[in-house]
Amino acid sequence: MKVIASYNLKGGVGKTTAAVNLAYLASARGRRTLIWDLDPQGAATYLFRVKPKVKGGSTKLVGGARPVGAALKGTDFAGLDLLPADFTYRNMDLDLARSQHKTGKAARALARLLRELADDYDVVFLDTPPSLSLVSENVLHAADLVLVPIIPTVLALRTFDQLAEFVDTFDHDRPRLHAFFSMTDRRKALHREIIAELPRQRAGISPTTIPALAVIEQMAVRRAPLPCYAPKSAATRAFEALWSEIAELLPA
Amino acid sequence: MPKESRPPSLHWQGEPTRGEVAAVLAALEPVAARGYELSAGPRRVRTVTYLDTVDWRLRGKGLVASHERASGPGTLTIDGDGVSGTTRLAEPPQWPARAEQLPDGEARDGMAPAMWVRAVGPVLRSRTVTREVAVLDDEGKTVARLDWAEATGTDPVTTTPLVRVSLLPLLGYGRDAKRVRKALRTAEGFADADGDLYDGLLTAAGIKPDEAAAPAITRGMPADVAVATALHGFARVIAVNVNGVLDDIDTEFLHDLRVAVRRTRSLLKLAGDMLPPPLVARYAPGFKWLGDVTTPTRDLDVYLLEFDALAAMLVAGEPDDLAPFGELLQSEREKARRTLARALRSQRFTRLIEGWQAALTEIIERERSEEELSAESLAGQRVRRMVKKVVRRARSITPESPAEAVHDLRKRCKELRYLLEVVKPVCDQAAHRAVIKDLKKVQDILGAFQDGEVQSHSLRDYAERLQAGSTRPPAATLLAMGELSARFVEMQLRARHDLTEALDRFLGPATHERIEALLP
Ligand SMILES: Nc1ncnc2c1ncn2[C@@H]1O[C@H](COP(=O)(O)OP(=O)(O)OP(=O)(O)O)[C@@H](O)[C@H]1O
Ligand SMILES: [Mg+2]
Repeated sequence: MKVIASYNLKGGVGKTTAAVNLAYLASARGRRTLIWDLDPQGAATYLFRVKPKVKGGSTKLVGGARPVGAALKGTDFAGLDLLPADFTYRNMDLDLARSQHKTGKAARALARLLRELADDYDVVFLDTPPSLSLVSENVLHAADLVLVPIIPTVLALRTFDQLAEFVDTFDHDRPRLHAFFSMTDRRKALHREIIAELPRQRAGISPTTIPALAVIEQMAVRRAPLPCYAPKSAATRAFEALWSEIAELLPA
Repeated sequence: MPKESRPPSLHWQGEPTRGEVAAVLAALEPVAARGYELSAGPRRVRTVTYLDTVDWRLRGKGLVASHERASGPGTLTIDGDGVSGTTRLAEPPQWPARAEQLPDGEARDGMAPAMWVRAVGPVLRSRTVTREVAVLDDEGKTVARLDWAEATGTDPVTTTPLVRVSLLPLLGYGRDAKRVRKALRTAEGFADADGDLYDGLLTAAGIKPDEAAAPAITRGMPADVAVATALHGFARVIAVNVNGVLDDIDTEFLHDLRVAVRRTRSLLKLAGDMLPPPLVARYAPGFKWLGDVTTPTRDLDVYLLEFDALAAMLVAGEPDDLAPFGELLQSEREKARRTLARALRSQRFTRLIEGWQAALTEIIERERSEEELSAESLAGQRVRRMVKKVVRRARSITPESPAEAVHDLRKRCKELRYLLEVVKPVCDQAAHRAVIKDLKKVQDILGAFQDGEVQSHSLRDYAERLQAGSTRPPAATLLAMGELSARFVEMQLRARHDLTEALDRFLGPATHERIEALLP
């Protein structure tokens, strides 16, 4: 089982969009896939039309009082399940800390929970809230690959570098970082410049970019993964290219 | 993904819908009435051919094999107790097919063990119209799916359409699935389905896999009618297996035919005096001929079926060393089969089977009077006599007895076995099972003894034939055959050794008691 986190400290950069579409493509290509919506706002859960409710909430789930399997929901798509968001996830930091107070391994609690699912799934996507918290630290430890959407601005790059530095401090379970440019606009000179320059300067930056397109924005209206309603669009092709790239980095 | 168990299915007793959206949705209205929205998927039409061996081996193991196609060559699917798999076909399949003739893949892997050496062929063909309907909640999320399937048997007979609705639950939506199921079960027109579509189609087509092969004899039957009934059953087995032999579908057709011939001959020998003597005099030689004419092919079949296992037994030689021998066996089999086919297509054969069946029918349907010898009395009398014969021969066997004496015992045991099988319906069933078990142990050892001898002799024979052929075999082939021959001799010696002990047990008091318990 491979764990892929969609993460960026910054909000509104395309984390959820990437997680939902890539999870859909992974399952459509035959991998048994799960997506866990860790964001209490539940954007991914909403896109799959599932009610944002986990019985017992974050406390029971993280504390191990309820098995993870009991909270799973089948999506409308074969081979793709969802672990929904719940409003109580906003307290997940506390629950994580509490669940491991004896072991002192609070940063690895999510990784432990995910192990329960190791036989059932080939890939697990984690969609994360924009924050630097115990939850995000857990996510970074649990992940084999961290997918980082970045909007091509100078500031955004600084946050990516900070993330890389942080991950570098891990002594083990260090995930691979894989950044890609999100919501790019070819008409903007700065975007063009950064997209051309950056992959030469830094490792772990994808050659695939996801352009800003109205058809992607429509996901919230359609409440479905992009490839379902626009299978032939350039946007879908971009996500397909991105998935192929990731699939190669994480052989089944 | 946590695996779901087999979906529950319901039977729709209303008018068939031909999969039309409006009609399907109207039938499913009770689900909509619970506050769900229904969203119909596309209508699909496909041909489904259900497959099994002539002796229903797949069904016996709880498996359903089917070939489905809409366009293109379609898929082959196996489904059942712990086994499931689908294989996409690259070209249209040919039926009947033995395991090695099926395309590689999951489906074959699932079917092959149950098929054994037998071929599968179409049991029933149907045209199936399906439409999947998604059940949506107030968010427009699918919470369950209903698979509406209408199947019409088209071959060998046309049936009325059979409608099944399967509920496919979705992970995490168990409560909705329950509500949907309840809505349908309590609605008019739906009932719990007993068995799947295949079962329903078999019933509708009047195909009864579990039907007994032949009418059995009963206690009160007059003795001659009972003998004729049993013989008629054997004749039927011979007749139904002929085409399978001629078409070379699998080797079991010939095997079953030969067993029926041997049973016929044994019963004629042991109870033929119950029938009019001219009748027996007229037909008995025909069955000897039939037994003889089928022997060469069967011997070669057995050799070829075991060939890979034999090759794997080699210690000094390599399996490939035997290849020229394998080729010889194949070409001999071709020759033997041609002779056999001529015999089975001959007037002599047709007259034998048809005349025999007609004569037996006359006896079975004759007028009956009161004080006649009953089947039950005859069974008791003949089994006791046969047991006495077997026991006498078994007692006389010592470690020094010549091979002929052992062979003779083997033949008598076989006759006793056939006789016991015929009289089974009039016996105490538990005692019958126990006696057969005892006898089988002795027979297995006698069989190994015989095989060891026959095989080592025939290997010698084949080796000489290879030598005399136009292309001389490599020395390695002859050496490998020699190694096998030694194995067979060894097997015979071991059997000879085991025999003494087995006979002691068989001749002990327990067997005698069991035989007495068996008979009325
Ligand atoms: N490539 C794109 N083109 C156009 N719109 C996009 C694109 N990617 C994302 N969006 C839109 O931008 C908004 C934010 O995207 P998304 O929710 O994926 O970001 P996020 O990083 O998950 O946000 P948050 O930090 O709030 O969780 C959404 O309305 C989404 O539809
Ligand atoms: Mg998000």
